[in-house]
Amino acid sequence: MQRETRIANIVLGALSALSLLFLSLPLSTPVRSFKAGAGYLFDPLAYHGEAGYQRISGLPARVAQLLRADIENESLRAELRRGEWLSTTVSALSLENERLRRALVLKAPAGRFPAWVHVMERDPIHWYRSLVVDAGSDRGVALNDPVLGPRDGRLVAVGRVVDVRPNMSTVLLLTDELSAAAAYLSSGTLEGLVQGQDGPRLRMNYLNAEASLSEGDSVYTSPTSATFPPDVLIGRVARVNPRDPFLTFQSVEVTPAADASSLQELMILRAKPLEGEGKPPVYVPPPAPAAPVPVAAPAPAPAAAPAVAPAAVAVSTTTAPRPRRRKTPAVAPSSAPAPSEAAFEAVDPEEPR
Amino acid sequence: MIGFLRGVAVFFGAMFLQWWWNTHFAYWGAAPQFLLVLTILLAARRGPVLGMLAGFGWGLYLDVARAELFGASALILTLAAYFVGVARRQIDLRALGPLAATTFLFTWGAFVTLGLLGLAFTKSFEWSGWIAVVATPFLNVFAATVFALVWDARDDR
Repeated sequence: MQRETRIANIVLGALSALSLLFLSLPLSTPVRSFKAGAGYLFDPLAYHGEAGYQRISGLPARVAQLLRADIENESLRAELRRGEWLSTTVSALSLENERLRRALVLKAPAGRFPAWVHVMERDPIHWYRSLVVDAGSDRGVALNDPVLGPRDGRLVAVGRVVDVRPNMSTVLLLTDELSAAAAYLSSGTLEGLVQGQDGPRLRMNYLNAEASLSEGDSVYTSPTSATFPPDVLIGRVARVNPRDPFLTFQSVEVTPAADASSLQELMILRAKPLEGEGKPPVYVPPPAPAAPVPVAAPAPAPAAAPAVAPAAVAVSTTTAPRPRRRKTPAVAPSSAPAPSEAAFEAVDPEEPR
Repeated sequence: MIGFLRGVAVFFGAMFLQWWWNTHFAYWGAAPQFLLVLTILLAARRGPVLGMLAGFGWGLYLDVARAELFGASALILTLAAYFVGVARRQIDLRALGPLAATTFLFTWGAFVTLGLLGLAFTKSFEWSGWIAVVATPFLNVFAATVFALVWDARDDR
């Protein structure tokens, strides 16, 4: 204990003397040097302490800012995704609008009730055989209703309805090997039977063996077709098959006008309207080619018109054949004049007669 | 070696604590004098020599930040450690009550000594203000109690 007291006294004496020296000679060089040295030792404590404190004190605000930024980031990402989805939707709607706008100028053959439908499903295995559309018996679609599709501003034959469900239908394409439609060539009066081959092309059989056939001819549905209205474009002759001496007819390869893989909207020509729909447009037969036209110069009558006229008359048995204001042909005319194109006139059912 | 490093950490940590509190938590000049409290506690528990050495160093730190009376705080803390060393021979400063009373008295003693040193060396009594003089002893007692409890808890462990 005495040793500790002695040491304590010595230390007290030394430190007190040093302190008194500092107090007594604050401006002397050694004291100022000592003070500077002490400051050099202790000042970083305050300097770095303050910097650290600023960093730490700003931490909650920065964390809150980070959280807010993260929340905002998530929100903006979601908004961006919504925007991308919206952009995609708008783009799709724009394309659909463009297609429908083009389709709007098309007029359905008279006497039928057109219904625009969307292609809902395609079976990749049966690409050339069938597709499913989003209208069924709920929209008045019936079995064997003809199905047309828009192509370059006109309606072309696509197929027929073979299965009707409440809200969807199956369309058998013309390219299916079970499909067949009576047709004629635009270059003459030759009629034949267009049949599918389960491929991209059709085959037109039973053409007169002596007839001269040429590539590029348009193929239209015949008035004798049980399914399609007459004069609907089916396709064009792509190749004339070599004449087979063992067959009594010729055949040609036909490229369909409707590309089944690109169709998105189709028109089903229904036989009966749904309740609440308007009356069907009336089919009006063309004036007889031989009949004299008193005022206007007679238009050159198509060569096949007489052959078609009886069928047209047969369709319009309920309507008295009287002169009417001509309107745009129901099916847009092809580049080559179709024999019975003039037979098609769409008449507004609401038009006063 | 670990003890030495711990002692260095405590030495600088105490100075940092004092600076931090004085800078950011002192209101109207009232703030606990952690360095004085720790000097008293160190002298009471580890003897006056260690208390005087640490107190002198801490005092120099306080003096560096002061424009005048360089050495006053060093002298005050050295004297405080010495007298605590004297007092601990008479009373048990390990108990919280005597420690609190000693801290209370030494705080006022430190104010008075500082004032007198100012009077002696700068011809003016170094007055810290009523709020500091009245509030600081209580804050120091509270700080001493907390430090003592922490020290005891550490020793028990």
